[in-house]
Amino acid sequence: MSNVQFPYPRKSSLPAEPKPTRSIPSLRPRDIKRYGAYIVGGGTLIFFLVWLFSRPASTGQLPPGTPGAVIVTTLDPSTSASFRENIVANRKDYAARHGYATFFANTTDYNLMAGMPQSWSTVPALRHAMTTWPHAPWLFYLASSALIMSPHEPLSSKLLEPRKLESLMIVDRPVVPPDSVIRTMSHLQGDHIDFILTQDKDGLAGGSFLLRTGEWAKFFLDAWFDPLYRSYNFQKAENHALEHIVQWHGTILNKLALVPQRLMNSYTRDPAAINGDDGVYQEGDFVVNFASCAKDAKRNCEAEMEPMMTRWRELRDQERR
Amino acid sequence: MSLDQPPSPLPGGGWASPGLGSTTPVDRRSARSTSPSKPNYGELNGGPVTWESAKASSAKVNSYRPKQQPSNRGFLARHIRNFSSGLPIFSRPATEDRYAEKEKLGRGRIPGRKPWQRWTLRDLKELPRLIGLLLLRRKKYVMMVLLFVLGVVLFNNPTLRHWYRRHPSLGGGSNFVIILGANQGGGVMEWKGPREWAIERDSVRNKKRYAAEWGYELEIVDLATKKRYAHEWRESWEKVDIVRNSMRKYPNAEWFWWLDLNSFIMEPSVSLQAHLFNDLATNTYRDINLYNPLNISHPPDPTKDNPAFTNYLDPISRSAVGDGKPESINLLISQDCGGFNLGSFFVRRSAWTDQLLDIWWDPVFYEQRHMEWEHKEQDALEYIYTNQPGMRPHVAFVPQRLVNAFPNGACGDDRGIPEGGCRSLIKPGAAIEMADLAKWECGLQGIHYQEKERDFIVNMAGCEWGRDCWGEMYNFRRLSNHLNRNRWEKFKDWVSESWRRRFEHKLGGAAAAKVK
Repeated sequence: MSNVQFPYPRKSSLPAEPKPTRSIPSLRPRDIKRYGAYIVGGGTLIFFLVWLFSRPASTGQLPPGTPGAVIVTTLDPSTSASFRENIVANRKDYAARHGYATFFANTTDYNLMAGMPQSWSTVPALRHAMTTWPHAPWLFYLASSALIMSPHEPLSSKLLEPRKLESLMIVDRPVVPPDSVIRTMSHLQGDHIDFILTQDKDGLAGGSFLLRTGEWAKFFLDAWFDPLYRSYNFQKAENHALEHIVQWHGTILNKLALVPQRLMNSYTRDPAAINGDDGVYQEGDFVVNFASCAKDAKRNCEAEMEPMMTRWRELRDQERR
Repeated sequence: MSLDQPPSPLPGGGWASPGLGSTTPVDRRSARSTSPSKPNYGELNGGPVTWESAKASSAKVNSYRPKQQPSNRGFLARHIRNFSSGLPIFSRPATEDRYAEKEKLGRGRIPGRKPWQRWTLRDLKELPRLIGLLLLRRKKYVMMVLLFVLGVVLFNNPTLRHWYRRHPSLGGGSNFVIILGANQGGGVMEWKGPREWAIERDSVRNKKRYAAEWGYELEIVDLATKKRYAHEWRESWEKVDIVRNSMRKYPNAEWFWWLDLNSFIMEPSVSLQAHLFNDLATNTYRDINLYNPLNISHPPDPTKDNPAFTNYLDPISRSAVGDGKPESINLLISQDCGGFNLGSFFVRRSAWTDQLLDIWWDPVFYEQRHMEWEHKEQDALEYIYTNQPGMRPHVAFVPQRLVNAFPNGACGDDRGIPEGGCRSLIKPGAAIEMADLAKWECGLQGIHYQEKERDFIVNMAGCEWGRDCWGEMYNFRRLSNHLNRNRWEKFKDWVSESWRRRFEHKLGGAAAAKVK
């Protein structure tokens, strides 16, 4: 009872037990203030670097030396060597001016089916060009019956610029004139277009067109080249097959833009069948195409093209002087 | 000496003796104080203090007014002590006893029972109080346990579970749409009888439950024969339009799973993600040469017939496995003994899928081939895969038993699996013998449903030709329910089973004895 007089409990006289030290030093608010900014900044930097280097390379820029377009032409080996040389020179001249590449294939290079018209080789040739130049954004197919007459303007400013293309493309026009119920789409954006070609009075003009490389182009070319189309004996072979798939398959139609014929596929005035004046070549047009002679086996295209070839050479030599 | 109030202790110590107030004041300085802590008011006030004035100032400070307790109060007041003593006491009043030093030891602890003390009824009565005290002392842990319990409850709440399993960034269920083709040929080609109705009911219910369980979308489509798909005109290509419509209807979904009506999901507790999509790379194969019932030459080679020609294809189209990345898979199909099977297949929303669905039906193809294409859209797909080389890098195959197992009788007879299951064929350090695999329903050639391997789904393909669709559906439904019993059901079954066995054994014995 010695403690009775103290109303409050007495403090223990034993020394307080020391707290066990923590093995992990705790983060004090002061530390957070001091180092927090550095930690957050460093983390962001690391994250940014990882993000930067983990992106797939293909989405970035094209590898250096990639041409802006590849000019594709299929040549019939039965034509004379000088003619073929002239055609090649004509393409190469244009390509050299604007940094494009060229791709030439023989019509006999590809395994068409027995008895198929040689013109079908256009399709595998395009696929082949795409394999050879996988990063080139555009393919420019030009039939061997066509010549580039005005090589000054690059394709990009002439056609491929999306705004330019939007202003040029012909919308709501029957795909096969005059009365196809399938019309070109009206609300397409220029940068969604993968396939640019022209129309002549009979239908789609396959002698000169532009095709954007990529997955869609693979699908399109494979579909176009399907054995059942080849064996169907379309009257105009691959050209009719093209008209067929454009009209029956929306995923092809909605990538297609028609442009005025003289932009890239002017026809020569044909004494046999008047084309109408719309698409007839005039001096200064980009391309001249001897389309009607190419369709007719009896005519000699080499001879018919000779004057125009001479004219092209004259123009070129004038410029050089 | 008469006191008007009984003497009562003052909180500071000492005694108030009001009765003494009328007597002469005591000189406090000379008087012995009963307690050392008792304040000396006279000194504080600076002067001789009368009892009255001391009492008044004391009341001001302590406001202590001892009161006479009336002996007879209301029921509540009389019993309130009993009630309150049953409640947990949150702190022991320090003023209760003076021996603070002793009390210190027990403070904050549950008053324990010494081992030599015996349990009494009082201990039991104390129990609620002890529990209350325990909960109070272990607040943090109690909170954690409560949170855990709450989490478990919420996790298992069907509505909530459906929501989080569906959510694109949680379970991702809304990325999947199940398209179930119901009412096959209904209305025109066949008259639906009670069996057909029953099949439809069971199948739809099975898919509905599965979709609800995992938060998938379920699109039940009517395959009734329509004029625009009628005779020789895109008949059975309506699948294509249906898939396209579903893609439009569910613009945020990624994968679309076509399912025939004659299918039954046997393991509804397995999600599509866990079953297939979380690991597409190992669950699928790109190279058709691994199992190639159609003998499609792969990789595509246009120079095969005549090597003199140029091979114009790009490296990815020429590769046996495409680019080999699971991200490039846009169509997932299985192969049965006769080639592609479209009873159960998946397509992913992509530009490529649009193109495939677009080219799948073409009048020129149809005109030339519709007599040969017995399986219509299935043959057309095989044709496109074979002849358009750019298609192949987007197609992957799934072993049939994973997404489209057949019952015995479809595609030949069930070859069964080895004793220890298909896994027993994999021997560490040794290559798997293809001949071994082909003997059984294992690997890529496995086609038929295996109960022991708990296959995910069964598709009673071709049951309408000479087999009993409803019978198969019924049996598979029963089997699925049996395989997926919960523990309680299993226990009940075990009890009744063992009871029956014992009883029947006795009965059988008695019967046998009688016969003797």
